[in-house]
Order: sequence, then structure tokens, then C-alpha cells
Amino acid sequence: MAEPILVVIFLRGGADSLSLIAPTADADYLAARPDTLRVLRDGDRPGLMLPPALADADFRLHPAAADLHDLFTARDLSLVHATGLRDVTRSHFDAEARIERGGAGGAAGGWLKRWVDAVRPGGPLPVLAVGASLPESLRGARGAAVAPALADLMLGPGNYWAPVLRARLAEGFGAHGPLQATVAEMLALSDLLQGRLWSGETDRVRDYQPAADYPGDSPLSQPLMTVAQAIKEGLGLRIATVDYGGWDTHDNQAEQFERLLGGLSRSLMAFWRDLGPHQQEVAVVVQSEFGRRLRSNDSGGTDHGRAGAMMVLGPQARGGRLLGRWPGLANHALEEGADLAVTTDYRDVLAEILSGHMGLADPGTVFPGLAPAPLGLYSNRT
Amino acid sequence: MLDRRAFLTAILAGPVMAALARPGHARATPVEDLMLNRLTFGATAATRRDLARLGPQAWLDAQLALPAHDPALDARLAAARLRIAYEAGDIDTGRWDAVDELRPLSALTADPASLLPLLDWSQAMDYAERSRPGEEVIAASLIRAVHAPAQLREVMTQFWHDHFNVHARKDEYVSVFFPAYDAGLRQHALGNFRALLGHVATSPSMLVYLTNDESRASPANENFARELLELHTLGAGVYWNDRYRDWRDVPGAGDGLAQGYIDDDVWEVARCFTGWTVGDGRWVAEGRTTPRTGRFAYVESWHDPYQKRVLGREFPAHAAPMADGNAVLDMLATHPATARFVCGKIARRLLQDDPDPALVGRLADLFLAQSGAADQIAQVIRALVADPAFAATPPSKLRRPFEFLAALLRATGAEVAAPDIGWHWQLSRAGWMQHCYPPPTGHPDRTEDWATGVVLLRLAEVALDAHEPWAEWVQGRLSDHLPEAPLSVRDMAAHWGQALVGVPLDGNVLAVAGVDPDWVPETAEDRAGISAAMVAAAALGPEFLFR
Repeated sequence: MAEPILVVIFLRGGADSLSLIAPTADADYLAARPDTLRVLRDGDRPGLMLPPALADADFRLHPAAADLHDLFTARDLSLVHATGLRDVTRSHFDAEARIERGGAGGAAGGWLKRWVDAVRPGGPLPVLAVGASLPESLRGARGAAVAPALADLMLGPGNYWAPVLRARLAEGFGAHGPLQATVAEMLALSDLLQGRLWSGETDRVRDYQPAADYPGDSPLSQPLMTVAQAIKEGLGLRIATVDYGGWDTHDNQAEQFERLLGGLSRSLMAFWRDLGPHQQEVAVVVQSEFGRRLRSNDSGGTDHGRAGAMMVLGPQARGGRLLGRWPGLANHALEEGADLAVTTDYRDVLAEILSGHMGLADPGTVFPGLAPAPLGLYSNRT
Repeated sequence: MLDRRAFLTAILAGPVMAALARPGHARATPVEDLMLNRLTFGATAATRRDLARLGPQAWLDAQLALPAHDPALDARLAAARLRIAYEAGDIDTGRWDAVDELRPLSALTADPASLLPLLDWSQAMDYAERSRPGEEVIAASLIRAVHAPAQLREVMTQFWHDHFNVHARKDEYVSVFFPAYDAGLRQHALGNFRALLGHVATSPSMLVYLTNDESRASPANENFARELLELHTLGAGVYWNDRYRDWRDVPGAGDGLAQGYIDDDVWEVARCFTGWTVGDGRWVAEGRTTPRTGRFAYVESWHDPYQKRVLGREFPAHAAPMADGNAVLDMLATHPATARFVCGKIARRLLQDDPDPALVGRLADLFLAQSGAADQIAQVIRALVADPAFAATPPSKLRRPFEFLAALLRATGAEVAAPDIGWHWQLSRAGWMQHCYPPPTGHPDRTEDWATGVVLLRLAEVALDAHEPWAEWVQGRLSDHLPEAPLSVRDMAAHWGQALVGVPLDGNVLAVAGVDPDWVPETAEDRAGISAAMVAAAALGPEFLFR
């Protein structure tokens, strides 16, 4: 089998874990939110039932997550509730930075950067941040490419003057050394991709032909298609990051969450089908910086909370489980009387993926000081 | 008209020429160049002359004294036309015809109340009409960056747009109120920080963007309050929520001014801003709506009237209208953490990524001492430029995509108009979303955030495409800016090198594409094509990329 690949999808803005994996029968949940901001047990669109686990609260997936439910039922997807940062922060910036640095005790650099340092993956495209900028988790990572699509990694394809600019860039940047290595890598990758993706006949970049239908109305489709293409092109991809924004639902949450989650669910299913046999190589983890306040505000939304949920997609020993420890929503169980408490350190999930899927012998090199407490995602795997 | 010999003599003898560092030489960059590259959107032949004539001090004084409105620039904006095009369509209440026309940027100077019909959902109207005001501000932003005489004010206006970020395309409300938001930032860009903060906190665009417009007791919506503390004033560096559980434990709280903040402060500040909303005729209570002013509105019945505690200071119950929110803004605008955070960001913008903490400390002291001054921000900038660190710090900041495009167009002498804002899409592919950055942090401002392969690839495309005939936002062609005399490829390399980086380009710059340096291209098309390649090559060199 080819080398294992990790895809990290970050839901920017703080996704409401209590709408994603909802304790639909929990009396405190029922009391804290209006119908429109809850997943319901009956009616036109009841939540999608999950097997009894964690607590007697009738946990259900949001009805917009039908594809996620199918992946869960097929035992490809695991759900982890009440995860997040041990540090109490409700700032987007602060929470994202802490999560992406992945360090207790202020470890420097991003957690994925530390993985790159530890593993030193080869190949022309070992690390791809899909989008326009490098996430904090990859800050400083050698060989990390940033682009919305593979075609964006080529220098002026088809442009008569591209060789002039190539020569200019290859000359270097004088005193600005750090740019030098970046540019050298970029030019090598550009040359390789031109050879693979440029069609001299049509004088344009060949379109990617996915093996599944991606939903056209989801902003996650194009980025995931880019990841699938990179995997199938055999470019040595090991790490891909994808940002999916818009989850900061301070107002009008019902409609926004439905749209966002529906996009996540359908795009992820399309990606999974598109991968075909490559599924065996890939793990996808979905996370957010925090969950949201139990009680809704008066704008039809919810404010920044604490514990969120994580999802892990990919071959696992015993997928299709709802994992974690449910702290409950009674007032005394909430953090500061307001938010779902964090009972599972998000790093435990990531560390287990690194050891169980990515084959990293010592996740301590990526998460210094973490005492491993695996959830058993890969417990039966040899 | 210059003949070829006179032309070459002119560029070689230019007064600035002698001072410019040659590529690869480790000579110090003269302060005049540092000023033009840091305090404007890029040097032009005219600004180089002005600075040489006036000297650095008088030039800076002149820049700081220029008002927010310039007659020539206003005339240019009034003459600009931006295309609007959409298909015919219909809703329950009516239908609309297809439109494809060039229209003036009339929302820029419109009374906000006159734009409210764009938010009337009973009127049949295409989305392009409703979102038009924000698009006009975006179109105007490049015209201003390239052509405004008050360059430093424009640089700082852009700085405040990032500091007080609002995503103009978030929805129709933000867009409709965005011209007033932009105008206020420009008006206060070099002025008093408390006045600027007051403009921001009462701007409909900001209130809608951070959803304070629907915040009422109770519970309040904390969105705006949190970003006000974290991004607009105190900064994340003093968000000490993981350090202190009790407000009494935060240093300074016992004396009535905590040095940092915790979530309790966020929640209290959110209560202070309940009822700060928009005068767009929205429903308040049975039979009551906000006035249709298109401006800020305060709704007393939405306000949480009871006592509050912010940063250790007690706020009495039943305060006068807006008194709670204004007291918070007063506290924040004069807080030492705000001074350090804001001055640190100004120094990062105008000088280097990691300015000396002692320098930031001096600027922060001045910021606090001058907190009542009408030119508080200008004084901070003046002190920064006067500091020995300004002249002693070599160029280290990569021009971000918008700055790169503006500097390129300024250097080539391009005329920017509005018919199309295709540049906006081009820059967004490099991570720059002019006035449309979704998260409230604004664009990042460290070179490492931009010094990536993909950004350089996109900058290369921006440079190559900027003067293409299909790039309608640039009027005329590059060849229009060349002297009319017959010029060899080598002469043109000298011209464009001089224009962009102050020194001639190597005549063999296009040799790799098979262009002979002694060839004299005769058609306008050839001259334009050769010029575009040279401009792009010069723009991708370290002397142009870094400021």
C-alpha cells in the first residue's frame, strides 16, 4: 500500500457540536434552546439515530448529515463528543492558534509542521494546504505548498513570457534568503505539474475528472477535489489541510448550520467515493476551534462555547462508534455554568491518528508532554 | 520629447538614481526610498521629485496635512464608471429587466438614507443592485491607492480597514452601509483613536458584520464585544482567561482598571452594547421601528439597564442612553494595552514585522499622552518615522498583493478607472480579498504569511496581466508611457527598470524568450508586449517586492 495520508478539515468559526451530535432527549438541552436551534426526535425532520452510547440521551446526527450517517453506519466514520482544548479560551484567534500549535506548554510551530520535521516526507508534493494561505498548523513546514487547485501551482501556464519570469525567480532574492528555498521548490513543482496537467493540444490545463459527483453548491467540494486529484496523481501527498469557514453562527443559526453541515456531509461523501481504492490510504479528521454556548442568545444564534466534536473518517479497527465521555448539560456539569465541558483532549484524537494511521512511532515528538490516552480508534489494528 | 540619448542621460542622471541600491549590493537604502515605499502605495516619478524637492520632513508634514478629500481625486472618482450586469428575474412582488450598463460610483457620496430602498425586500430587484454600494467602494479603493495625492492617508485607511475588518460582501446590509464606513475610516485615519473607535462602534456595517445590530437583553450577543476587546483595542495578548478565574485576581482590577481581560469582561461589555443597532426602519416592538436614517440607532428597550463591571470598574444601573457603551470605548481607547497593541501594529505595518519593543513602548507612551489630541495617530506616525530605527531598518516586508498591484500601476504611470474589478478576483487567488476578508482579524501582516510559492505565482500573473487589453481597469497600454522615440529592447529595459526600481534592467532580460536586446520593435503591440514582460520581470525582483 502507498504511504498513509492525513486530511485535516478545520471548521473555522466554532461549529455547534450540540447541533451536530445532539443529545435530543436531554432535559437540559430541551430547556436551553428553542426548537429551531435543536435537533428533534420526531416531526418532519427528526435527527438521524445513533446507537446508544455515552449516555442515555438519544444522541442523533443533525438531519442535514445524511451522508455522514451513511458513512457512520458503514463503519468508516467515528464521532468523538466533548473534545477540545484543556485551556479555557473562547476567542477564535486564541483557540485556533492553540489547537493548531498543538502544544501544552507553548510548543513552538504547528503540530503538522512538527510531523513534517519528524518524518521528512519526500516526493514533489508532500504537504498541500488547500486555499490561499498556510494554516497555523503548518507554519514553518518545509515543502508545504499552498494553492486552491493544482493548476494554481504552475507558473503562467501557456504564457509566452513565463520563461522570462522563471529565469528571474530562479536568480534568487538577494538578502531575502527565506524566499529562496520556497521559490526553488515552487519552480520544480511547477515544471512537474506542467508536464502532467498541461495539454499542448488544447493549450490549457486538463480538467480533473472525478469518479464521483461533488455537490456544486458546497464550498468544500472544490478543495476536496483538489486533494483527491493530488492523491490520484501520485505526487507523494502525505498531509492536506482544508479550511471550511462560516461556522460562527451568532445569529440565524438554524438556516446557516443546515447549509454548512449539508455541504460538509455531501462533499465528504463525494470525496470518499471519488477516492475509490485510495480510501485505504486516507484518514480524514474534522475539527473546529470550539463548540457553542448551550443556551442560545436572543439573535437566533449561539455564542462561543467550549467543547466541540471531532470526526474521523477512514479505515479503522472499529469505526462507526460514538466515542468520548459525556459530561452532561446539568448546570453543575457545564464549564462556568455555560458550556459543554471538555472531557477529551483534542490531541488524544490527533495523536492516535498519527500512531494508528500514519505509523508515527512516537507521537510525543508532535505533541510534547502529552500523556497518551487513546480512544481505541485503531485498537484492533496490527 | 526626448531623443534616445537625452532619454538615457535623463534617467542616468536622475537625482534619485545615485541613491538607489543596485541589485545584489548591500548598500543601505536611502531614507527617501524607505519613506516612499512604506508611507505610500509605491514610488512614482512625481513623488520621487516631490520628496527630493521638499526633503523628508517637509514631505511628511505635507502628507500628514492633506485632507480626506482632494478635488482632482474626487473628480476622477466622479468620472469613473463601474459595470453592472444581471439577467431579468422576478419574485412574488414583481419582476425586473436585464441590465448591462456602465454606472457612476454614486453610492460613495450618497446620503445613507437614500440607499435604504436597496434593503426593501418588497421591491423586486437583483442582488447586484442591493450589493452595489460595497462594490463601488472596492472599485474606488484601487483608484485611490494609485491616484490619491494623500498617499499616507490611503495607506492608513487600508490599515484601519484591516484592523477594524468588515467583510463588505457578507450580506446586503453590510454592503449598503459600507461607503459610510469607508469614508469614516478615511476621515479619522490620521486623527484621534477614540473618535475613530467611536465611528467604528456606531457604523451600521460593523454592527451588522459582527451581529451586534440584533443584540438585546438578554442574553446579549457577545460577537462584537469580543472582537472589540481582542482585535480592535486591548489585543489577544492580554486575554488572560486561562490564567484567572475570578475578576478580582486580574492585576489592576482591584484598582479599577484591569491590565488584561477574561470572559466575564467580554460578557459585561456585550451587555453594555445591547441596543446599539441600525436606523433602517427595523422592527423594535409592536408599533415601533428604528428611524430610517441609514445611520446608527440606539434602542433603549433593547438595552440591558442593570449594573455591570468591566475591567474591574463598576458601571451603575440605569445609565443614560449609550453611556455604558461610550464609557467602555473611553476606557479601551486610553488603556495601556490598547496603546501597545495598536502602536505595535502600526509599527509592523510601516516598518517591520517585529519592531523593537522599546520603540513600540515609546510610541505607546506618546499614544497615551496624546489621547485627547485631534492628530494623535499622525503624531505616532511622525514619531515612528523620526525614530532612528526607521532609516536604519532595511526593507524586509513583502508587498502584499493589493500593495503590489497598486505599486506596479503607480510605477508604470497607469491610469486606473473602474469599468471592471477583475483585479479583485485576481488578488483573491493570492489570498488578498480587498474589503472582503471574511474573518474579523483582517489580512495578516507578516511577511511569512505571504512569502509562499503560490502568492509569488499569483503576483507574477498579476504583473503580466495588469496591462493586458482585457484588464479593463487599466486605461491605455504600457507602450503609451514610453518615450515616443524609436527604442531598442535595451532602451526599454532601461526605462522600465528605472520606473519600477530606480535602476535600469539588464538589456538581456528577455533573452531567454529569444528577444534580441538590439531589436527595435516598431508596432505598438510589440512595444506593449515587450514592456509587459519587462515590467513583470522587474516587479518580481527583490528591490520591488520588498519595502
